[in-house]
Amino acid sequence: MNYSLTGILGAALGLAFLSQTAAAETANNLAQSPRSAMLAQTCAGCHGTQGHLQNNAFMPLAGMPTTQFMNAMKSFADGSRPSTVMGPLAQAFSADEIKAMAAYFAQFPKNEAQ
Amino acid sequence: MNTMNRRNFLKLTTAATAAVASFGAGTAFAKDAAHIVVIGGGVGGATFAKYMKMYSPETKVTIVEKNKEYQRPYGSSEVVVGRLDMKDITISYDALKNKHGVNFVFDTVTGVDYDTREVKTAGGTTLKYDRLLVSPGVSFDYSQIPGMDSPEAQSKILHGWDSGDQLLTLQKQLQAVPVDGTVVVIPPPNPYRCPPGPYERSGLIAQWFINRGDKNAKVIILDPKNGFTVDVTMLQAWNRLYGFNLPESFKGYTAEERATFKKFDNPGKIQWIPAAEGGRVIKIDADNKTVECEAGVFKADMINLIPPLKAGKIALDMGLADKSGWCPVDQKTFESTIQPNVHVIGDSCIAGQMPKSGYAANSQAKVAALQIKALLAGQEPIEPAFQNTCYALAGQDDYGMFVADFFRLKDGKITRDEYARYLPFNASDAQYRLSAVYLRAWMNSFTNDIFA
Repeated sequence: MNYSLTGILGAALGLAFLSQTAAAETANNLAQSPRSAMLAQTCAGCHGTQGHLQNNAFMPLAGMPTTQFMNAMKSFADGSRPSTVMGPLAQAFSADEIKAMAAYFAQFPKNEAQ
Repeated sequence: MNTMNRRNFLKLTTAATAAVASFGAGTAFAKDAAHIVVIGGGVGGATFAKYMKMYSPETKVTIVEKNKEYQRPYGSSEVVVGRLDMKDITISYDALKNKHGVNFVFDTVTGVDYDTREVKTAGGTTLKYDRLLVSPGVSFDYSQIPGMDSPEAQSKILHGWDSGDQLLTLQKQLQAVPVDGTVVVIPPPNPYRCPPGPYERSGLIAQWFINRGDKNAKVIILDPKNGFTVDVTMLQAWNRLYGFNLPESFKGYTAEERATFKKFDNPGKIQWIPAAEGGRVIKIDADNKTVECEAGVFKADMINLIPPLKAGKIALDMGLADKSGWCPVDQKTFESTIQPNVHVIGDSCIAGQMPKSGYAANSQAKVAALQIKALLAGQEPIEPAFQNTCYALAGQDDYGMFVADFFRLKDGKITRDEYARYLPFNASDAQYRLSAVYLRAWMNSFTNDIFA
């Protein structure tokens, strides 16, 4: 009984570990895919190379948590967050594209000089 | 291995051999490192070099550029009205050299051999390339403007559209305009570099007159077009700031929107005469500073003519342009459809609905870097994505606006996504002011994205 319980627990833990690893790998793949870089380069003219920024009028994107990035884009696009430039621009991207850009910027450390 | 991969593999082998031949033994680069030569160190070329080194550090990148420092054309109209000095728009190449490992040859290109893939310079340097990227900006075509087809006329009537000393000469010309004087600004026909630029400059000059306490001096815009990028935002601002009367022929507003415009009994500090109302120029007398257009003859104290534009001279000399005067390229990779292994980006290339702007050149440069990285590795190029954001001032330095566009490849054409691209109609003064704050911030972050 104990043995099999340990076995089940062990198997469950193993599965959880595996799926976490798989999720991390997927996130990593997404962050490093050329498609993510392709989409994210369009932001750099205002938000800095790889999201590294040395002024405070725009939001630095490097190291931003993915949920924060995705929520910000969603609220710009639906107008719930007031904006000038970002409202229209956020409407250009699909949910998958926003996820890809979020993963791209999240992989970089914050506050790293360009 | 399928046929496509094999063919790319063979292509890469050839490329690798070429690289070895050009650098030989003892160079710091791996023997299979590809070499990309970039002609032109402007926004397109500099962005490409930085991003190519970032995406593919092992690739060797060499920029051939005649000037040792860069003078940015974007935002340079502020030099004409004396808000900025030339040093404010001058940018060093040091970070590209020292931080990003980009090689520079400060020289003029004199020849290209497409068969041996060699670029030759005036100083006698020969550079072998695996891929060549050409980003030479624009050249000016006076041939269709009677009165302007001589060096004398072109030394008196300036464009100031490519940075350099012309900006300071225009500044002096403006300062010499007498009280109650008239400046005529003549924008070019489409397509041209910096679509909001001639109108921003007109606004800056009108504001400069106000700042010197000149009540009656004015700017008259004689235009071969009936609209321009940011027109609906700009004209509304001018109506608020400069006693500007909206031309009857302008079609950019609904009847309700038009009804909100103030009407002034006298012409204001800015008058815009679009093509539909006779703005097309017929002839210019450079000595007497008179402009004849379809609407009549205008006597000016200063004329700022931006003539029709074409691809940069080197691109024309290299045979990369078609009959339009611009360079046709594959819309996914920016590889010339005239010469293989040669890519053209920025103002010189034909890029579907993308404008000829600094931001567009910057975005195309990054796309080209990602695609060339894939091509060098024998992989298929990926789906490109582009953006353009242009900021402009209405005249006052705290009254700004923008156009923001996203572009994708649709049916083989670079196509603008359809959604709102400007400030909303009836934007508040606060929204215009916030846009000016973003303009200033953008000027820094954009310049850093290219050169830092």
